[in-house]
Amino acid sequence: MKHVIDFKYVDKGSLNSVGGKNASLGEMIKAGIRVPHGFAVTTDAYLNFITATGIIDNIYGALVHMDPEDIKALDQVSEKIRSLIVKTAMPVETQKAIEEGYGELSKEYHDRNIPVAVRSSATAEDLPTASFAGQQDTYLWTIGIAQVMVNVKRCWASLFTSRAISYRIKNDFSHEDVLISVGIQKMVSAKTSGVMFTLDPTNGDLSKIVIEGSWGFGETVVGGYVNPDKFIVDKVTKEINERTISQKHIQCVYDSGKDEVVHIDVDEEMQLERCLIDDEVQELVRIAKIIEDHYGSPQDIEWSIDKDIPFPENLFIVQSRPETVWSQKKSMPILGGKSSYQIMMDRGSKRIKI
Amino acid sequence: MTSKTEGRFPDPHEFEVPAELEGWEEMYPSHQLFSGDREEWEKNQFWFQDKIHAPEAIPPLDHIFQEAWQISLSQYTTRVFCIPPAQGIAQRMVGCYLYICAIAPPPDEVQGAKAERFGARVFPVFQNYDELWEKWLVKFKALGKEMDELKIPTELPEFISEEEVLPAPKGYYVSYDIIEGFDRLVNMMFKGWQYHFEMLNLSYLAYLMFVDVARGLFPGISESSIGKMVAGANVAMFRPEEELCQLARKAFSQNSVADILKGDGSANEKIEQLENLKDGKNWLEHFNNVKSPWFYVSCGSGWYHHEGSWITNLDIPFGYIKSYLEQLDNGETIERSLDKIEKERDEIVAEYRALIKTDEDKKTFEDTYNNIRSIYRYAEDHLFWVEHWFHTIWYAKVREFGQLLVNCDMLDEVDDIFMFNRYEIPELLTEVSTGWALGVDIPMRSEHYKATVAKRRKILEAAKKWNPQPALGIPPEEVAEPFTVMLWGITTDRVQDWLKGVDAVAGADVSEIKGFASSAGSAEGPAKVLKLLKDIVDVQPGDILVCASTNPSWAPIFTKIKAAVTDIGGLTSHAAIVCREYGIPSVTGTGIATSAIKTGDTIRVDGDTGEVTIVERAA
Repeated sequence: MKHVIDFKYVDKGSLNSVGGKNASLGEMIKAGIRVPHGFAVTTDAYLNFITATGIIDNIYGALVHMDPEDIKALDQVSEKIRSLIVKTAMPVETQKAIEEGYGELSKEYHDRNIPVAVRSSATAEDLPTASFAGQQDTYLWTIGIAQVMVNVKRCWASLFTSRAISYRIKNDFSHEDVLISVGIQKMVSAKTSGVMFTLDPTNGDLSKIVIEGSWGFGETVVGGYVNPDKFIVDKVTKEINERTISQKHIQCVYDSGKDEVVHIDVDEEMQLERCLIDDEVQELVRIAKIIEDHYGSPQDIEWSIDKDIPFPENLFIVQSRPETVWSQKKSMPILGGKSSYQIMMDRGSKRIKI
Repeated sequence: MTSKTEGRFPDPHEFEVPAELEGWEEMYPSHQLFSGDREEWEKNQFWFQDKIHAPEAIPPLDHIFQEAWQISLSQYTTRVFCIPPAQGIAQRMVGCYLYICAIAPPPDEVQGAKAERFGARVFPVFQNYDELWEKWLVKFKALGKEMDELKIPTELPEFISEEEVLPAPKGYYVSYDIIEGFDRLVNMMFKGWQYHFEMLNLSYLAYLMFVDVARGLFPGISESSIGKMVAGANVAMFRPEEELCQLARKAFSQNSVADILKGDGSANEKIEQLENLKDGKNWLEHFNNVKSPWFYVSCGSGWYHHEGSWITNLDIPFGYIKSYLEQLDNGETIERSLDKIEKERDEIVAEYRALIKTDEDKKTFEDTYNNIRSIYRYAEDHLFWVEHWFHTIWYAKVREFGQLLVNCDMLDEVDDIFMFNRYEIPELLTEVSTGWALGVDIPMRSEHYKATVAKRRKILEAAKKWNPQPALGIPPEEVAEPFTVMLWGITTDRVQDWLKGVDAVAGADVSEIKGFASSAGSAEGPAKVLKLLKDIVDVQPGDILVCASTNPSWAPIFTKIKAAVTDIGGLTSHAAIVCREYGIPSVTGTGIATSAIKTGDTIRVDGDTGEVTIVERAA
């Protein structure tokens, strides 16, 4: 049994063992996309954890006959399961594997304790038909093996938040069928981060790439804490059709004094400053097209720009998942199957307001 | 009475022109003046200055083109192809400048009656465009040939020749030939302009249909992206430039010829030198072979007699050849690669097509795209044949009449004839005929005509120094007439900007100017504001060209400049098309660029957003 596996050796065939997010990182590495290095703690490691320690029965036992509408009971059970997971010690062989993986990653970046992002990656999330996005946890700027271990367990526990439990019940997923992997990935020292869609999420237009970004880590954008800057780019001609620069009040950064990720105010003169220059926008567009072509479907991508590395090597993709809203809709003819004769009549008879 | 407007421009009936222009009204036909009997209608329209066709004050005879297009453009919309909501475009002259207005839509019942005809008449043109174009070209070339062959007597004989009297008198003589000749010349000009709009309105309509489809499928798609799909590369308007490139290439392979052409002398001196060389003779033969029709190109837009054309001003094409040779010496490419441009365009279209999700939409896209691909080239093709080739012939013929009038001492200079409008010239010619017929020692009104010329030249000079209002009257809530939007680049936003901008420019304190994002990309560099055509030789590599509008015969400078900004012109204006082809950014239809920007200012042009920023003022 493999407890951990380097992203380099992971691809879409590894979904069951590393979950959607991690599998996708491996896929992108294969496609030549710049992704921060890291490794996955496998679903086997998780399953081994709950079985070897015997907590498996306590967990699934507590979920039998759960009423997803009973918020209070849901919260109690969720709390109980999550604290059980966090308190229970990890099997030694898993601990050793994670320690080795983290050690190698640190060595690769010439650091003793490299800051990493610890993220959950569930086997059912990110499927086009079931967006679990945001239902599991992410721990940014995790430093040192002890903290990594704690956050791995927190990620495991996140499989049992009240929301995740009720979502599975409502959507007929069996609790036992959804497993969780954890990704441990080198942290990007982000100057600017954000998301991008390879279609216009407001209308499903496939000819656009829509980029949203703000200062610092992407959490402020993903979590909706700021009005991000928004760039709409034509996928074919690469023209930037729209640049909306917003007032970005806060940013998410690592506070080394407090040793935690904090939300702080953005310097006043930076609030209205655009967080991406056109060259960066164009590089993001180039990468977005490669990713979309690789997967063959519209994508929802998270990206980060490192402040310590020169452009364009500083541009990292930290996640990509299939776009779920428009991709599931049945495509209807937008123009109603009109002939060019009808288009001509429409245009020619357009009443002009005076 | 000037710029303090509350959402409206000066009333055309109260608007005053500078005192030095006194007497300007006499230069133009009275139906083209704002008049008391039409005041009610006139003051409720929105009139804007037509800087596309008349960026400069209009000499009286050059005004004929305006009269001709008013009729022709309008009739195709209203009575030939019957575009239901559209009426014609009306013109008025104010102080030597042309103002135009898109007339409000007709009543519903008229729109209904037009709609039936519209469907039946327009679609066949789209379907049979290629065949119709062949026919158009045949008849248009025939008309130009007929004009070219018109015999105009430039001298009057002392006595009519024997042959015209014996064995039987011919019955009509040179006195009649003069009068008929000018009438025919004018008629042919009007006919040429009737042909001019034969398919132009429809090519714009096809463009708008394609825009509707593209916008429906890809909301927010930029005009310049649409332009990239539509642009025709292999059109007549680019031929003159291509011929020059070939001539430059030919010279480049023959050092002795190239050396002469790279010299500083005039075109005539160079021709003389070339004639003394074997290779030179050969090169000249090539030059003479392509000269007609391809160098019948105006040095400007074709709308002014003083612009001259390549064949009457050989220094211009020789100057371009010289600069092409210098580029070749530097190892640069001078030709546009047609294959590359077409391949890029086809790839872009294929990419968009692949993004369409349903077969129904794919078909609609395909159908409307095929329409536009065939008919849209008319927008560029007709331009060469009418405004350049045909007008060049016209000017030559008019000058023959000018020569006659000089020879009869009615005028001092050949070009003085352009100081009279097309209704007045028959009077001069009739007097010439009359004087000749009356016998010898007949007093003529030469002094009167010469004085008129002098007065009118002064008025036109004064008009050149005057910067007239961009618009008059009440702006409409919405500007939607296809020509107004596409060709003149007048939109609702632009009108609002003018309302604000007029004041701002007077303060000369504008640093941001908005226009159409006509060709993508951005560039920063020194501005070269081109007010007079002759200054075109001063354009330096790396300059950003700022001008009222660009002309096809300027093509060779597009390889030098970094970007272009115009006052007037929409997305299908010449500047927009050419900049897209050369891949340089352009912002068109700013309304105020030539007055707000000064030569030497550092400006930034953003062809994606349509913004022009004055980064630093020249010292």
